[in-house]
Amino acid sequence: MAACTVYSTLSLKTNCFISTPSSKTHYGFHHKQIVLYTTSKRHNKRVNNPYVITCAASDSQTVVIGLAADSGCGKSTFMRRLTSVFGGTAEPPKGGNPDSNTLISDTTTVICLDDYHSLDRTGRKEKGVTALDPRANDFDLMYEQVKAIKDGISVQKPIYNHVTGLLDPPELIKPPKILVIEGLHPMYDARVRDLLDFSIYLDISNEVKFAWKIQRDMAERGHSLESIKASIEARKPDFDAYIDPQKQYADAVIEVLPTELIPDDNEGKILRVRLIQKEGVKNFSPVYLFDDGSTISWIPCGRKLTCSYPGIKFAYGPDAYYGNEVSIVEMDGQFDRLDELIYVESHLSNLSSKFYGEVTQQMLKHADFPGSNNGTGLFQTIVGLKIRELYEQLVASRAQSPVKAAKA
Amino acid sequence: NLIAVRAAPDSISEKVEESIKNAEEACSGDPVSGECVAAWDEVEELSAAASHARDKKKNTDPLDAYCKDNPETDECRTYDN
Repeated sequence: MAACTVYSTLSLKTNCFISTPSSKTHYGFHHKQIVLYTTSKRHNKRVNNPYVITCAASDSQTVVIGLAADSGCGKSTFMRRLTSVFGGTAEPPKGGNPDSNTLISDTTTVICLDDYHSLDRTGRKEKGVTALDPRANDFDLMYEQVKAIKDGISVQKPIYNHVTGLLDPPELIKPPKILVIEGLHPMYDARVRDLLDFSIYLDISNEVKFAWKIQRDMAERGHSLESIKASIEARKPDFDAYIDPQKQYADAVIEVLPTELIPDDNEGKILRVRLIQKEGVKNFSPVYLFDDGSTISWIPCGRKLTCSYPGIKFAYGPDAYYGNEVSIVEMDGQFDRLDELIYVESHLSNLSSKFYGEVTQQMLKHADFPGSNNGTGLFQTIVGLKIRELYEQLVASRAQSPVKAAKA
Repeated sequence: NLIAVRAAPDSISEKVEESIKNAEEACSGDPVSGECVAAWDEVEELSAAASHARDKKKNTDPLDAYCKDNPETDECRTYDN
């Protein structure tokens, strides 16, 4: 009888299946695997069954999601909604650096790409570059570490401390089920972009960005309208050159614009939000309103939905976005009563929810988050459900592949 | 009625104030220089950090904070069934 020993050098997380097909002699050797056979007798007269060894990464192989947005544009709210869809809350790593930017939950680990700054705050000042500039970021390290995590290997990731502006000693990041990389440049480097299983871009229009930053900063000492404006203006050339072009690569773009329901509104309180979904992306089927592929404008306010001024308006239709075919769902206005969202939810199809009312329930769970009464919260929640479905499909297809390989 | 505006921890607040002053100085000479742009970028980074710190502070309910340390007291005891 042949005794078979399999040594895996890749990681302890790989699954190896040993099967015994009846006919052909078939040895499946995979790179980075050392297979040693030891036989008790030198010459077996009959080799009973040849062994086929198929090795695949375990079903917990990491799915990588990229989220691009400027600072102060609601990335953290989006992250909290996303981790909530998977259950559990995201918390900073326990017992580590108190200024760590990482968030860890049972299934998801969120890392902030500011941690890959190659220049710290003083370094950028000396060179006269912003954090938006690719020269201030180490894309080689970003690629290596994201790739390692995707392959199931833990890494020592640096920490960029936002309070001191210095690069702190690294922290250990273990491969999670879902890795989210969020920051300014998740889709900038082509190598990192190719590692992403799904990508999202949060596109906040200049008017809304200004209104949001006023809300955020006016209470802060030293800030004035002029200083907020100057800060946005100064960063704009780099933003347009390096951050904005990434949206062409995104599988989903959430665009936030001023409302069209109120003429000349510049308060930035009522928003027109568009969910731009790329067509033909594997494991991602866009959400639609009433009829897939038609162009529709819908005002749900009436007998069944209470709306105060200025009301709610939905739109849906196919379009082109940076040369790609896309489907766009748009919501303008805001909800007065969140529980009435169920009425809207029942007219949206392909939501990837597990039960009727899941979108509404998720929104109600976090009614206190910013954007819960308008399209930003609605579309962020929907994208969260889409990512869950994508993750489940990817895991299912990976679990099947070793079986297929053994049959071949 | 007075509404108390909760500010970020003072150390960050002071840093924001200082960075704005620096940025205004750096830009007085040349408004499109790398120096000026980097200075305003620093303001943005610190403002974001200050806002995150404020949010963290704001989200703690006084009773929740007390019950974390004193789960056995009358006002904090909860039973699943």
